[in-house]
Amino acid sequence: MSGEPELPESEALAAEHALGVLTERERAAVEARMAADPRFAAEVEAWRARLAPLAGEVAPIAPPESLWRRIERALPANDDGRLMRAVRVWRGAAFGGFALAAASLVAAVVVAGRPPVVVAPSAAPAGALLNASLKGETGPPLFVVAYDPDRKALIITSLVPPGTDPAHAHQLWLIPADKKPRSLGIIEPGTSRRLTMAGPLAPMVSEGASLAVSVEPPGGSTQDGPSGPVAAVGQLSKI
Amino acid sequence: MSRIVAGDRAALRSLYDATSAKLFGVCFRILSNRDESEDVLQEVYLTIWRRADRFEAARASVMAWMATIARNRAIDRLRARGPLAYAEPVEAVDAADPAPLASAVLEQAQDEAALRRCLGELDARTATVIRTAFFDGVTYEALAKRLDAPLGTVKSWIRRGLLRLKGCLES
Repeated sequence: MSGEPELPESEALAAEHALGVLTERERAAVEARMAADPRFAAEVEAWRARLAPLAGEVAPIAPPESLWRRIERALPANDDGRLMRAVRVWRGAAFGGFALAAASLVAAVVVAGRPPVVVAPSAAPAGALLNASLKGETGPPLFVVAYDPDRKALIITSLVPPGTDPAHAHQLWLIPADKKPRSLGIIEPGTSRRLTMAGPLAPMVSEGASLAVSVEPPGGSTQDGPSGPVAAVGQLSKI
Repeated sequence: MSRIVAGDRAALRSLYDATSAKLFGVCFRILSNRDESEDVLQEVYLTIWRRADRFEAARASVMAWMATIARNRAIDRLRARGPLAYAEPVEAVDAADPAPLASAVLEQAQDEAALRRCLGELDARTATVIRTAFFDGVTYEALAKRLDAPLGTVKSWIRRGLLRLKGCLES
């Protein structure tokens, strides 16, 4: 109106996200866009870097002594970091990647506020079942997996709200002991799928094997392994 | 940072000692609640522990990187309270003794001075609104309510202010 120059709409949104004035829903949408659009993600990062020095003006407040012990206690239980790094090796270096994809899914889960779905396979021999929670680097599980070796049946439930990021597909991967990812197919957000592990796949679904979900173009990765950022990983363990 | 990537806990402890009071201040300013700020701060250091390999020294100072993570997490937590949540009046807290500044903190001094100078070049109202938005992590809606100004007006103050800020920082 005033004829003053303005930031282009996409950069204005990036700046607003960095400043922190967006609503929960808008933040989730922006994080999802960051995961899919590296140029936009770079704009957000540039604005974060511009504004971050303001934090220097905040008065420091000493946290309680007990907090470091809490943090330290949480460290050993956290082997996700090493797992993430291993995952990064095979997915190949890509910009932005993991955290952004995971953040967008986590944000979406938070926005939807759905109660977590508990997968409860019935009438299966106790002790033989395996399960895994697939998480991003932070936040709640995004996918829950249960495996019944007797039936060679793997059930995966997506806790990502239906309709999230329709421009991409969530592809499930099995990463057995040889660290080579095998595609197990596409999981629609908010749905459960039962997959039968045929042939050589079945023995690979064992305790300690990893499962991961990557964000791919519709139809899934066209290469021999994930082509997009990995949004969640987890390890199979006995229930 | 490279020691943290290698899994050196003592290095994380040193970083914690040098930066936790600042980051706790950032979280508390947004959340106005000690328990929640502690939870967020714990998440922040666990994130740093796991993601130290993603820190790019060329792009940001360590402190700026960590402050961004802390703000982001704190704002997520604030948003989870509801769409109109805005920081309540800050509880009385004792400010920490200014700890001896670690190099991680000092390397930011220049950037801070530049940003302060550029904010000083904005009109006072715009600078105040941007500062409030940054420190308190509140939405446009909450800012407009606080300032008793129309949403569109607040939005346009901030957008224009940010554009001028960018121009100043790049000049």
